[in-house]
Amino acid sequence: MMDPEVHSLTGAYVCHALEPAERTAFERHLAQCSACAAEVAELRETAALLASAAAQTPPDRLKAAVDARIAVTRQIPPISATAPARPPAARPRRRWFTAAGWVLAAGLAATVAVLGVRVGDQQHQIDQARQRDTAITALLSAPDAQAGTAAVRTGGNGMVLVSRSHDEAAIAVHGLTRLPPGKAYQLWMISPAQTRSGGLLPLGPDGTSGSVLAHGLGDARTIGLTVEPDTGSAQPTTTPVMLLPMPA
Amino acid sequence: MLGRASSKAATDEQATLESHLHRVALGDREAFDAVYEQLAGPVLGVARRVLRDPAQAEEVAQEVLVEIWRTASRFDPARGTARAWALTMAHGRAVDRVRSADACARREARAAELMVDTPFDEVVEAVEARLDRQRVRRCLEGLTELQRQSVTLAYYGGYTYSQVAQLLDTPLGTVKTRLRDGLARLRDCLGVGG
Repeated sequence: MMDPEVHSLTGAYVCHALEPAERTAFERHLAQCSACAAEVAELRETAALLASAAAQTPPDRLKAAVDARIAVTRQIPPISATAPARPPAARPRRRWFTAAGWVLAAGLAATVAVLGVRVGDQQHQIDQARQRDTAITALLSAPDAQAGTAAVRTGGNGMVLVSRSHDEAAIAVHGLTRLPPGKAYQLWMISPAQTRSGGLLPLGPDGTSGSVLAHGLGDARTIGLTVEPDTGSAQPTTTPVMLLPMPA
Repeated sequence: MLGRASSKAATDEQATLESHLHRVALGDREAFDAVYEQLAGPVLGVARRVLRDPAQAEEVAQEVLVEIWRTASRFDPARGTARAWALTMAHGRAVDRVRSADACARREARAAELMVDTPFDEVVEAVEARLDRQRVRRCLEGLTELQRQSVTLAYYGGYTYSQVAQLLDTPLGTVKTRLRDGLARLRDCLGVGG
């Protein structure tokens, strides 16, 4: 259908120059108008050149910040073309949310939209994950946020993002060696005076990565990771597989 | 000649970018580094053009680059190039940010400044970017005054087309049309999609 009035909005649409209501109406039209879609695609390529022409050399700190964030950002799986709403898809996500909710970090909103509709009974976990997500976002934008990394002796890498002003640290470990049944990775907050448990590391569905948000850092300088019985230990009972220094 | 040479280069670059993006969707960090290399400059640049504020632009660029990592699997080559996909996202985020309530006051103050500003003001080392810049500048110069102002204010200024109409004291319908035929003329001049 060729409504010339609506069709003439392609330029404004590509420039993100429509009001929200108009934008929604135009997108509805776009879904049914292949001529409009083709024109939008071409004008988008054109607009992309306007963006390229404005390119600037990014500062090194941008790469560092992006790297720190993608280390704790779970990627979304591809949409299945045949069955976009297939119910089994909700399952691994559900388990994952319980295990390591905040890893989703920056991209939670879209998933919440999906899960909110399909898995109503998970609202509580989603709310918790959303709170963690907010906490992470706040942590990332803290002016004193600093990142540190360390290798895990038995395989894998750890990363910490610390804000002393927020008294919080986000810790992410990935590429871990899978543990035998009955064993778990446990985190430790190590200061010169004492070693406190940071709890068992919640692992994602693949069993090789996990992350936590730690509050109340006190004078802790190092994050430790040990292998413990899956009931947890009061103090480390094995040699740490990772000692991750926290930036002061 | 220059146009053809650089669009050949652009096609190669595009194919590489798309294959990298495909690998990013599989969690490949090295491929992401390559994507970052190609897109961080324009992502930051467009955010900076729209937002003006370097700190805010960097925040938006950070968000967008993380979003590219997160949603790489959703990129659909049937709907356009990877570059357009990423830069549409970057421009959209920057515009959302500039329209948020706290940014409004600052915007008012810079409306006048924007009118007299040239679109390109920063030193860019990358040769491709410089070529893009020259081509775009040349093509923008080929537009009518009203087309050029409409496209510049809407795209680089982040204004809605009704705000553009007010700023230019021009009827809404005219701005709507100029945005469309201005971009179409740029498309032809830049040899997009041909």
